Amino acid sequence: MWSRTFAGLIIGLLLSVSLVLNLNLLLPIKEDTMLLIGLLLAFPIWAGIQVWGYSFTSSKKAWLTLSLVLIPSVLINAVLLLLR
Amino acid sequence: MNKDSLKALTNAHAWVGLVISTILFIIFFAGSISLFRDDINAWELNPHYAVNEQSETLFLDSVISTVSKAYNINTHGYFILSMPSAEQPLANLYFEEKTSADKHVDQHLILAPDGEIIGHGNGSSWGDFLYELHYDLHIPEVGLYFVGIVSLFFFVALLSGVVIHWRKIISKFFQYRKDGKKDKLLDAHNLIGVMGLPFHIMYAFSGLVFNLLIIYQISYAVVLYGGDQSKLLTAAGVVDVHLEETKIVLPVQGIDNLYLTAKTSLGEVAINRISIDHFGDESASVKFIGADKSQFSTRKEATYHIASGRVLYLTKDNFDNDLRGGLAVISSLHFGDFAGYLIRVLFFILGIGTCYIILTGNLMWIQKKANLRVEKQNPMGLKVVYAMTTGGFIGTIFASAVGFIFARVIPIDSIGRSDLIAYIFFGCLFTAIIVSLNINAQKQFAAIFLKITALVLAITPILDWLIVSQGIMAMLKLGYYHVIVVEVMLLSLALFCWLIASRILVNKRTESD
Repeated sequence: MWSRTFAGLIIGLLLSVSLVLNLNLLLPIKEDTMLLIGLLLAFPIWAGIQVWGYSFTSSKKAWLTLSLVLIPSVLINAVLLLLR
Repeated sequence: MNKDSLKALTNAHAWVGLVISTILFIIFFAGSISLFRDDINAWELNPHYAVNEQSETLFLDSVISTVSKAYNINTHGYFILSMPSAEQPLANLYFEEKTSADKHVDQHLILAPDGEIIGHGNGSSWGDFLYELHYDLHIPEVGLYFVGIVSLFFFVALLSGVVIHWRKIISKFFQYRKDGKKDKLLDAHNLIGVMGLPFHIMYAFSGLVFNLLIIYQISYAVVLYGGDQSKLLTAAGVVDVHLEETKIVLPVQGIDNLYLTAKTSLGEVAINRISIDHFGDESASVKFIGADKSQFSTRKEATYHIASGRVLYLTKDNFDNDLRGGLAVISSLHFGDFAGYLIRVLFFILGIGTCYIILTGNLMWIQKKANLRVEKQNPMGLKVVYAMTTGGFIGTIFASAVGFIFARVIPIDSIGRSDLIAYIFFGCLFTAIIVSLNINAQKQFAAIFLKITALVLAITPILDWLIVSQGIMAMLKLGYYHVIVVEVMLLSLALFCWLIASRILVNKRTESD
């Protein structure tokens, strides 16, 4: 259980930052509104990813699947930040 | 979702709930009571400084002049005046007094409506103690983040609970099978959980925002603003109106005029807080902060340079920033400060309901483990969970009840009063857990302990009328009902504890038969 907890806690946090950052870089909305949207989305994403992590029957599966979602999102972050 | 995933999630839901249960109970119980923090502070203090007149205006220059003569106010410290209002007849002044070149002490003065200093409030903060217990458990430095992590796991438990219960959420909405022991606990857990779901989600989310916002603040500052925190704060609507200190001594004067100017400029507003930066220096500025009660969650603020009267900053709408506006809405929802007492009473009931959900969750786990075959049982684990449930949960209510008694009994001006009450609170809580760990007949102990707690809760209202009845009557005549609000809250909790204790004893008797 602890391993799945850490998978959700760590990857969930990184993924929430990454997804919200992508939204921030993609949507043409004013800065303060974007920060608010980010705030409203980030915590539910983090908690949601943790719930998803717990739904796997093994911790290995949880780490692997969640990482596979994180990697493309981080790559998009990198591209968008470079194009900025 | 397939069967295995659902089973894994159900196990995780139980495990997460169990791990955070005691801390979450303390957070929710203290938070529910803290909805009436202002009432508790007024309950503790006002009867001792009962006034016979009512006024919402305070002569600010006169107050400042009196305080400046009596105390050496620290120029680099805070100076905050909480204004009297329709709900609170007394003004509270908080500032730092300079005692030597590098030392200062916190001061809290109580002011009558005419501005006269009528007492010190340094030792009277029982309401604030409970509120701090709610948001950081009185753990220095890391308590805030620890409570944030617990809130995150509460959010996870909520979401996983919704997923687990999803297929039955409509069809079994009102299901309560009172005849089955396990079913009854499960149905109560689900029923209160589903009924109060929007409330629970709001609390989990807003708790996270208050306690763990720093994580996203840092990541945003690093990635989006190249590590420049000030750029992020500017985008977030944080306005820096700080003036450089000139080191030219200038007495603080003209605040009454600036107060009237601020009222005119801000329009519909109840100014409830005035703060002065760089007190006594030529660069000193004064900030008037208030809320527009005709609108939902709208903060207004005006800052002036005192010497020149120049406007440094003025906002009539949450700092004209969506993020600050959003945070103000989240804050209003969390504190239930937007619709008078009724909404707070509702939030209080839902908060205590959440405590009941946490309790039923633990009881189901205990029941499940106790019903296992002896060789599969973990007696130590079972004992610890039992002790944390009985000692931790009831102990929190008991320690709070004892805290209320001492907040009334200890003389208001005795030195170290609030520290003593804090030690008594934690002493009671830890003793309850230790005693609980050493008792085998947990059900009987829980029933007796709940009855004792109910009696202790009911003692405070009696003591109120024995010790400060004159002060209470004077406040009631002016239309201030804080004492009654607190007494009703304590008696409701006492009744609740007594009824649960009676129910446990009846069930135990039925089991024995």
